[in-house]
Amino acid sequence: MRRLLYMIPVAIGISIIAFLTMYAAGDPIALIKAGKPNINEATLSGLRTYYGLDKPIPLQYVNWLMNILQLNFGKSLYGGLPVNQIIGPRIWPTIELQIVSLLIAFAVSIPIAVQSARKPYSKQDVAVTSFSLFGVSMPTFWFGLILIIVFSFTLGWFPSAGSQGVAGFVWWGNSFFDQIAHLILPVAVLVYVSLAQNIRLIRANMLEVLRSDYILAARASGLSERKVVYSYALRNAITPAITFLGIALGGMIAGAPMTEYVFSWPGLGRQYVTSTLNLDFPTIMGITMIITVMTLIANLIMDVLYVYIDPRVRIR
Amino acid sequence: MTETLLKVEGLKTYFYTEAGIVKAVDGVSFDVRKGETLGLVGESGSGKTVTSLSVLRIVPKPGRIVEGKIELKGENLLAKSEKEMQSIRGREIAMIFQDPSSSLVPVYTVETQLRDVLSAHEKISKDDAHKKILDLMNLVGIPEAEIRMREFPHQFSGGMKQRVAIARALALEPELLFADEPTTALDVTIQAQVLDLLEDLKKKMGMSLVMITHDMGIIAKMTSRVVVMYAGNVAEIAKTDDLYYRPRHPYTALLLAAVPRLDRKKTLSIIPGNIPNLIEPPSGCRFHPRCEFATKKCEEAPPVLEEVEPDHFVACYEWKNITLKGETGKND
Repeated sequence: MRRLLYMIPVAIGISIIAFLTMYAAGDPIALIKAGKPNINEATLSGLRTYYGLDKPIPLQYVNWLMNILQLNFGKSLYGGLPVNQIIGPRIWPTIELQIVSLLIAFAVSIPIAVQSARKPYSKQDVAVTSFSLFGVSMPTFWFGLILIIVFSFTLGWFPSAGSQGVAGFVWWGNSFFDQIAHLILPVAVLVYVSLAQNIRLIRANMLEVLRSDYILAARASGLSERKVVYSYALRNAITPAITFLGIALGGMIAGAPMTEYVFSWPGLGRQYVTSTLNLDFPTIMGITMIITVMTLIANLIMDVLYVYIDPRVRIR
Repeated sequence: MTETLLKVEGLKTYFYTEAGIVKAVDGVSFDVRKGETLGLVGESGSGKTVTSLSVLRIVPKPGRIVEGKIELKGENLLAKSEKEMQSIRGREIAMIFQDPSSSLVPVYTVETQLRDVLSAHEKISKDDAHKKILDLMNLVGIPEAEIRMREFPHQFSGGMKQRVAIARALALEPELLFADEPTTALDVTIQAQVLDLLEDLKKKMGMSLVMITHDMGIIAKMTSRVVVMYAGNVAEIAKTDDLYYRPRHPYTALLLAAVPRLDRKKTLSIIPGNIPNLIEPPSGCRFHPRCEFATKKCEEAPPVLEEVEPDHFVACYEWKNITLKGETGKND
């Protein structure tokens, strides 16, 4: 419960930092002027007043905060749509993409990491570690582009952009399979990246745990190899991976800006990139706040989950 | 003569590390008789623990049993399948480890861990297991067993944890128990309690106990026979009394002299030098660089165990030519 209260100052702190950094980045009205050199000063100052950009920054912040508390994120500087309407429809595609990737990555990484750790430095393990080292070091946009070139343009197996077929063109027969077809490439990119990270993390932990005395003692008591590895070792090795999952879960809401951008995925990540390029302050702040709150909630969930996984954390 | 329970012959267990092959156990032979307490003594790194892990065939990688014979009641353990070994571990041969805080799994309750051991060997209902675990915990002297079995290892003190570990090792009433320095990690006041408990349970269950230690006091107190190990070899095997009063191996004599005694006003003697590097051990007798009686022969070929009197074996070329000082009683 006390942790819940801690979240409030943290959220406010992050919002202030974000607010200040954003203003250091540039003046959005100047950007409009750069785009339309013939615009007259009166319109510009009218826009300034309309968006409240003429007021001192602390006052702007307080106004913004008051609106946020009523879940009003303000209006976009680009097209004037309410930020809620911009963000709202983009949340689900992002969550869909991320959850699918995260689940696949976790489900696949555990058995691979365990097998790898059981036979360290074997051929299989070397293959797995090189594969994951590559996954960790490779830039996502580059991998995404390669996939698009190979599987969309050359082979034509999967669509290259968007989250569903457009203008009546549906992949693989019906709208459900169509969605899956659109998911495959971006999910492949995201899975590869988090798979690689997961495998490295779980493998390293497993290696350490498998060397511990309690594993030796469990073997000495005649427990089966399966029980020793999956019930005793994995349970202890997975705790740090859960922390990682927590961080991933928070960052998940932000989407994967690069991946979404490359695949034109209509999610928050791509919106984040677009809005930043446009200096669209209210939208940036809106998405930042969603990420902040989600990260804090994810951390809270992980703290609670920890108690179930590791009894030593339990407060007596 | 009493029946032999375990016979180890020419056991070699090597660790294949990047730096080279570590010959942790290199040609070890001894036997354990039914109902006896055998001491396995030696410095750290002399291969005591690896020997016991080899008997259970749970030598961790990159270690491997290279050669030798391990027979339990005449059956060759090295020829058993992994499945057969699993049913032998815990049920016929069990082991207690040095540090109880790391030998119990931190994430499961004591009851769960003990039940896992029971159900690894027999079909047992949750209720029956609960009753049996309760009995076991009472047997090893854990008060309020009904409540404590639902707790996690970190909620127990060191001594209590070791009692839990003992309960786990004895759950299936094994015939042979390896106790690997079971009191090293405990407070001195608790050590005696745990040793008494082990002695008591050993008698009750009629099992054989192999006491691995470097504490000569524990050897004197608990064992009937002793195997002295040095750098992966057996130096001497004798009845405990014979060993104390008539040591035949120079290393044994030095070990005995290094035991602090309150009734003597002598400075404590130390054994000069260090335990050798086991990747490239000294040629011949591995003890020769530290031995004051070493001759040319000792550098050439390793000595084999010779019977110097009934039940007393020593691996030394010079035993006939040297006189060693053993324990001579309190009023020296």
